[in-house]
Amino acid sequence: MSYEVMVGNKAAAVACRLARVQVASAFPITPQTTITQYLSEMHANAEWDFDFVNVEGELSSQVVVQGASRVGARTFTCTSGPGLLYMHHPMQGTGTGRLPVVMAVVHRSYKGMQPDHSDLMSQQWTGWSHLYVEDAQEILDSLIMAYKIAEDPRVRIPAAVGYDGYVLSYTAEPVEIPDQALVDEWLPPNKAMPSILPDEVDVSTFSRGWGGGDPQDRWKSHHDAILGIEDILKDTMDSFYKTFGRRYGNGMIEAYKMEDAECAIIAMGTIAGTCKAAVDKMQKEGKKVGLIRLRSFIPFPEKDLLKWAEKLGGVAVVDRSICPGKGGPVFSKVRDTFYDMEDKPKILQFHAGLGGKEVRVHDFEMIGDKILDYAKGGKSDKVTWV
Amino acid sequence: MAERITRAQIPMSEMTITPGSACQGCGAALAARLAFKALGPNVIRHGIPCCPDSVTKTPRTGTVFEGGGALLTGTTHGLKALGRSDVKAVAFFGDGGTYDIGFQGLSGAAERNENVFVITKDNEAYMNTGNQRSSSTPKYSRTSTTPVGQASRGKTTHKKNVPFIFAAHYVPYVATASVGYPEDLIAKVNYAKDLEGFRMLIIQAPCPVGWRYDPAITMDIARSGVQSGVWPLMEIENGEKFKLNYKPKELKPVSEYLKPQARFRHMTDDEIGDIQGFTTSRWESLLDNDAKGKLMM
Repeated sequence: MSYEVMVGNKAAAVACRLARVQVASAFPITPQTTITQYLSEMHANAEWDFDFVNVEGELSSQVVVQGASRVGARTFTCTSGPGLLYMHHPMQGTGTGRLPVVMAVVHRSYKGMQPDHSDLMSQQWTGWSHLYVEDAQEILDSLIMAYKIAEDPRVRIPAAVGYDGYVLSYTAEPVEIPDQALVDEWLPPNKAMPSILPDEVDVSTFSRGWGGGDPQDRWKSHHDAILGIEDILKDTMDSFYKTFGRRYGNGMIEAYKMEDAECAIIAMGTIAGTCKAAVDKMQKEGKKVGLIRLRSFIPFPEKDLLKWAEKLGGVAVVDRSICPGKGGPVFSKVRDTFYDMEDKPKILQFHAGLGGKEVRVHDFEMIGDKILDYAKGGKSDKVTWV
Repeated sequence: MAERITRAQIPMSEMTITPGSACQGCGAALAARLAFKALGPNVIRHGIPCCPDSVTKTPRTGTVFEGGGALLTGTTHGLKALGRSDVKAVAFFGDGGTYDIGFQGLSGAAERNENVFVITKDNEAYMNTGNQRSSSTPKYSRTSTTPVGQASRGKTTHKKNVPFIFAAHYVPYVATASVGYPEDLIAKVNYAKDLEGFRMLIIQAPCPVGWRYDPAITMDIARSGVQSGVWPLMEIENGEKFKLNYKPKELKPVSEYLKPQARFRHMTDDEIGDIQGFTTSRWESLLDNDAKGKLMM
């Protein structure tokens, strides 16, 4: 084990080394760019045995890892905002192919270079698991865990690990680097499922056709496989904690100072860190507000939210993205989760940090005050742009 | 350069599963049958959307239409990581996936000199969706998106010169072949399959449905394409060494190639003259290159 002060993008590259990624491919785009540089340097210095393919565009980087993953290699790619949109088409195939590709998404808004979550949020239908993380250590740890989960024979679903551009990508903080031997022991090599090597397939079964059976089942089985990730994600977090001594809540959510909370703020990514400071301050002032940080957006932590919601009078959902004309995707999903409850908490929607707009501690205090007041019967706008 | 073979040296074993779902007289099905005979079993076939020419007795993988070059790249790096570089990553793409939507990714793979073999069955339009023009469609050709009418004489521009474009990536091997010349086709696959680096073979594959001719004469059409100089058989190594593989004393007139195909039926004598002039001029420069053994770019 060692420590190094490093930026988030380096933490991502170091995670690739620790996970012994075999084939990585990427195309530079701000604010993901330096991952491609770190990987190129690591390749040039033969830090471990892997291929890094510098391709001519993001679409190709996604297809390169698709091809390498299909033959059984452990793969990594990364991108940001517009690059993720360009990848959208082959991402569908990575999901449908049930290929355990792991991708870092360094959030960048579509309306400017600064971060919001609109990039990864726009990929909800591609059949991947989506994690949102808070700091550089969590980037490193989550990428290693992502391989363990994605490659699990019960899962075989590609994983996107999202972190905010600039705030994490280009900001240095101390990161603990676990011992390689420990990671090797905890994360066994990947295996192709099924193999497509000529000496391992039965060519006599080949035919022309699209598979037969119920065509709807292709979607259902994919959906079910992603829902099944929840338990495996939680088990993986427990196992990671036992081996490496760090954990991020139960893997699906992190409940921060929720023990005596009457209301909760729900947030994701780096602004959840800002929210923690606000919660500390408010609880000192006797205000009973806690934070539920969502780590996993797909699959969505319905069970955990329902468990907490029973004790809560109000929930303020902070969306760092918007589907224009429709609203916040996190808010919609949270309210949908509460629908069947007999005694639902009251709920307010906030948009904050879109286009990289600064979100400060006092903004979260305002959100906390609003939800406390609203839960006690006060009046509030249903939607607030912070 | 490929070593010539005789018909007796064409492997007897079949790598395609019959019956396929191709049309009668399909040039692409024939291209697949010949190419995969020569490739043998230790191959992963890469496909992107294209005509269902045949099913081969090889594992296959596929991706999005525009992703052919990158998929081959991924497979070859993955195979290397597994220590299985003995397995060959081979593409069998159509002209759309090579000349048009797949062009960028293939150019990237060529520039990186990936260890892959791209075989293109070139039927000169989007035949799988009903004969829409591609950038491989020749000038004056009538397709469903370049119809002939009051204001249209078919496609207005020439077919993209993809062999030369890929040769300009200085890759180990670029060649053209025709289903009308099976020995030449197989000799080129034999040679290219064991080279290291990016290799490309473009096979002209006549399509009776899109080109609109009697399915019984696919071989005749393919041969007259070569004999008239419209589809020259050539090899280019490292963007430099050049060889014409078929050099008749005199080319047949292009009208012999154009006339049996209804896609060209509307052409006037002047228009045929235009194609004749273009073909002759191009042929002369190919002969120059061949005499020098060097591609002038």
